[in-house]
Amino acid sequence: MHFTGVPLQTLIQIGALAGAAIVVFYILKLRRRPVAVPFSKIWQKILRDKEATSLFSQLKRLLSLLLQLALLALLLLALGDPRTAANLIEGRNIVVLIDGSASMKATDVGPSRIESARERVRAMVRGLSGSDRMLIAQMDAAVTPLSTLTGEISELEAGVAAVKASDASADFARSLRFAADTLRGLPSPEIIVVSDGALSEAADAAGPVHLGEIKLSYVPVGMRAKNAAITGFSVRRYPLDKSRYEVMLEVTNTSDEAMDVELSLIGDGQLTDLSRLRLNPHEKLPRFYPNLSGASKTLEAKIALGDGTRDDLPADDRAYALLPERRRARVQVVTTGNMFLEAALLLDEYLDVTTVDPAKYPAKGAYDVTIFDGVTPSVAAGSGSLLYLNPTGTNVPFEVGALIDDEVGFDELDAKSPLLRYTALSDVNIARAHLLKGEKDDKIVARSFKGPLLIQGRRAGVKFVALGFDVRESDFPLRIAWPLFLLNTINEFVEEDVGYISSFRTGTVWSIPASSASESATLELPDGSKRSVPIKDGRAVFLGQEAGFYKISTGTPQPGAAEDVTMFAANLADPEESAIAPHPKLEVDGRAAGDVGELKIGVRREMWVYLLLAVLLVTMLEWLTFHRRVTV
Amino acid sequence: MGVLDFFKKATSPLSRRLGPSRTDDDLFDDEFQRKLDYLAMVSRRVFTGAMRAERRTKKTGSGVEFADHRDYAPGDDFRYLDWHAYQRFDRLLIRLYEEEEDLSIYFIVDSSSSMAFGDGEKLRQAKRLTAALAYVGLANLDRIAIVTATDEISGRMQSTRGKARIFRIFRFLKDVKAEGHTDLGEAMKTFVAQHKRRGLAVLLTDLYDPAGFERGINVLRYNKFEPFVIHVVDPTEGRPDLKGDVRIYDCETGEEREVTVTAKVLERYGAAFEEYLEEAKRFCTARQVSYFRADVNVPFDELILRVFRRGGFLR
Repeated sequence: MHFTGVPLQTLIQIGALAGAAIVVFYILKLRRRPVAVPFSKIWQKILRDKEATSLFSQLKRLLSLLLQLALLALLLLALGDPRTAANLIEGRNIVVLIDGSASMKATDVGPSRIESARERVRAMVRGLSGSDRMLIAQMDAAVTPLSTLTGEISELEAGVAAVKASDASADFARSLRFAADTLRGLPSPEIIVVSDGALSEAADAAGPVHLGEIKLSYVPVGMRAKNAAITGFSVRRYPLDKSRYEVMLEVTNTSDEAMDVELSLIGDGQLTDLSRLRLNPHEKLPRFYPNLSGASKTLEAKIALGDGTRDDLPADDRAYALLPERRRARVQVVTTGNMFLEAALLLDEYLDVTTVDPAKYPAKGAYDVTIFDGVTPSVAAGSGSLLYLNPTGTNVPFEVGALIDDEVGFDELDAKSPLLRYTALSDVNIARAHLLKGEKDDKIVARSFKGPLLIQGRRAGVKFVALGFDVRESDFPLRIAWPLFLLNTINEFVEEDVGYISSFRTGTVWSIPASSASESATLELPDGSKRSVPIKDGRAVFLGQEAGFYKISTGTPQPGAAEDVTMFAANLADPEESAIAPHPKLEVDGRAAGDVGELKIGVRREMWVYLLLAVLLVTMLEWLTFHRRVTV
Repeated sequence: MGVLDFFKKATSPLSRRLGPSRTDDDLFDDEFQRKLDYLAMVSRRVFTGAMRAERRTKKTGSGVEFADHRDYAPGDDFRYLDWHAYQRFDRLLIRLYEEEEDLSIYFIVDSSSSMAFGDGEKLRQAKRLTAALAYVGLANLDRIAIVTATDEISGRMQSTRGKARIFRIFRFLKDVKAEGHTDLGEAMKTFVAQHKRRGLAVLLTDLYDPAGFERGINVLRYNKFEPFVIHVVDPTEGRPDLKGDVRIYDCETGEEREVTVTAKVLERYGAAFEEYLEEAKRFCTARQVSYFRADVNVPFDELILRVFRRGGFLR
C-alpha cells in the first residue's frame, strides 16, 4: 500500500489534532448543565422508568464517539490516497493538445472557444482516475507543454489555466509529433485534441505523422462561422516619390452568408479612407489604394460588419502595417561632369547631392554614398558606401580587367538583386567596357558572356558597387532603368529597401533588421510586455504570435546614449485561420479520431477534502445544536 | 461577543436569562390597600344576611343552633344528613350548626426556598393573599396571627385584631424571606404546640414537601385546627424550559439527578406535575379540608373573590 496523496507523517499529525479536537468536543458535550428545579420528587417519579435505558444511552454515546473517530480515520486515509503497488503503474497516459491558434479566439461559444476548450479540459482533469497521468500542451505556431506528465490535479489545472490563444495558426504536425514522442513506450497512450478543427494537414517536411498504437481522441469546440477577415495587407512607398504610397489589402468572407462590411484605413491614428463592401459567401476581395499620402509611419486597416454587429473572430478584423522610414541620403558625386548621372540624381528629392571635382575630393562633411564617375582616388574617411562608375585605376577594392571593344550587353542578370529591381537590362547595348573581378565573397550582379560587368561587395564594412563601363558609351542612360538602378543602389547603401516588409506574418520566425553591434535586443510586444531577443547577423530572431505593432530597441554600450528604436508590424493574414467553421471530425494518418473515453472511472480526489470539511462542519453543527438544545 | 461568552450563553440555564426579578417594595402599595377595602366590603355584602359580620366556628354535631343547610358532598358525615328535608325535596342536605365565639385565624406562610423559585412570584402571591385575607379577617373582628414555616416555625407575628393592625401585618410580611427546607409536619407540630387556642389555620404553601405534604395538614387536623389549604401554584413549573442533557438539583435539598430532557420527558413531567396538584386536592377534599389553588398568574383580588365564593373562609 502506498500513500500517493498526503504523506503518512502529515496524516498522523492531522489525525492527532483532529482526534484530540473530537474528544474535547465529546467531553464538552458530556458535561451536563446544572439546572435547579423547585421539587425533585416529581422528577424522580418520571425518571424511575428511565433508569433501565440509561445504560443503553451511555453505550450509545460511546458509540457516537467511536463512530466519529472512525469517520476521521477513514477520511484521513482517503486524504492519503492509498493505492496498491499494481495500481501505481497502470492507468492511461494522456497528452491533451489544446488548440491555441487564432481561430480559437472566436466568440461563437461564450465567452470564447479557448475558454470553452479550457472548461472541457478542466472537466477531463477532474475526471482523471487515480492512476491516470496527463500532460497539457498548447499548440500554436509552436507546441508548448504547460505541465509535466502527471496525475497531480493542481498542476494540471494550472497548466489549463495557462492556455492562451495566439494570433498564429497551429502547427498540428509538430504538436502531434511532440505528443507521440512523449507517449512513446508508455502504457495506454492517448492523445486528445481539443480544437475547432481548423488545423493544417498532419504532415510536415518529414512526411505524414504516424501515431501507431496511440489512441487519438478529438473534442470539437465551436458552433458557427460568421466571420469576415483581412487576409492580406501590404503597403509600399513609390520608389520615385517616397511621400506617396500604395496599399493592397484583401478582405475575405469565410462564412456561408453574404455580408456587408465597413473597411476603414487609419494612418497615424487618423482615418484616411472609409468604404463599404459587399462580400459574397467565401469571397476574397482584393482592394488597392494607390497614390495615398498623409501617413508617415503607421497604417491600420479595420473592418466592421455593416449591421453594427460583431463577427465571431475579432482577431482578424484588424491589420497593421508600417511605412518604411524616410530620410535624406547625402550623396557625394566625384565627377568631371556627367549630365546623365546628375539628371538621374535630381529625380529623387530626398537626395542631398554634392558634386565634387576629382581634384577637390574629398568635400567637407560626411556622406552616406560617394559616386566615383570614371575616377578612382584614394577613399577618404566619411565617404560612406561607394559606387564606382567605369573604374579605370588600380586604387579600387577589386580588379579592373581588360578593355573590351566589342559591343557587349548584360547576358546574365541576378534578377533577385535589389539593385536591379523594376529594371529591364537584357537589351542594353554597351560600346566598350572593362571586365571586373571581385573577390570570392563579392557578388556578380550582371555579366556579359565575356565577364562580370556589375559587381557588389563589402570591404572592411564599407559597401561598394562597381559598374564596368561609362554609361555615356551605352544606351543605358536612355532607359528608365538607369535612374532606377541608381536609386536602387543608393537605397541599398542606406538600407532604405524598397522591398521593405511592411508587416510580418504571425506564426513564423521573423528576422528583424537590428543593429549588428548588439547581441540582443529588447522587443516590446503589442500588449506592452517586453522580452529580450537574440540578434544574429544583424537580425533579431523571434517567433511572433501576436498581431499588432512591435518596437525593437537595441541597447547602446555608452550610458546616456539614445536607444536605437525601430517599429514593425505583424498580422495574422491567414485565410485558413480565418475560416473558423468548426470541424466535427478530425482525421490523422487516415484514421478518424474518436470521442474522449470515460474520464470518470476514478473518484475525484478533491472530494475527499470536501468530505473532510463537511464532516468537520457537521460535527461542529451537531455539537452546537446539541447545546442549543435543538436536536434533543 | 467573544467565543467564551458565546459558549457561556449557549450553555447557560434558561432561568438566568430572564429579566431582573421584581422586588417586594411595591407589594402593598396604595392600589393594593384600596383593593383590600373593596374586598372587605364585598365580603360583608355577600354574606351579611347569614352572619351579621361576626365570625363563628363551625362545630358540626356539637352545636346547638341550627344555622343552615348545604348540599351534601362526598365525605360528609352521614349523621348530619337532614332526612326530613330529603323526604320533602328529594335532595341530600347537610345540617349546619353554629356556635358564636371569637375566632382565631392563623396564617401559616410557607417560606422555604422553593417558594422563591424562579422569579419568586409564588412567595409574593402568598404574601398578597395573606395580607388580603388577614385584612378581611381584621375587618370582621377576628383574631389574626401569622407564622412563617419551613422545617420549623421561622417567623411569628403575635395574634392581633382590629383593622388598624393591618400595617403591622404588612411590615411582617415584607420581611419574610424564602430560605430553608420544607418540612410541614415538623413545623406544624411546633405550631400546634405554640398555639393552644384552636381556630382556622390558613396554610399558604406550594406543598413541595419531600416528606409529604399530608403530614403537616394531618397534624393540624388531629389537633382540632381547621386547616384551609391555599395551594400556591406557578404553572410554568409544570412546563420547564429545558432541553438536552442536564443535571437537575433540588433547590432546597440539593439532591441531584442526571436527565436527558426530550419532548417526551417534558410531556411526562407535565403530567406528573398535574397529578401532584390533583393528589393534593384529592387529599384535602377527602378529609373535608378546604382546598384552594392559587395560580400566581391570576390577580390576587380575583383569587380572594374566588375564595369567598368557594366558601369555608367566610361564613
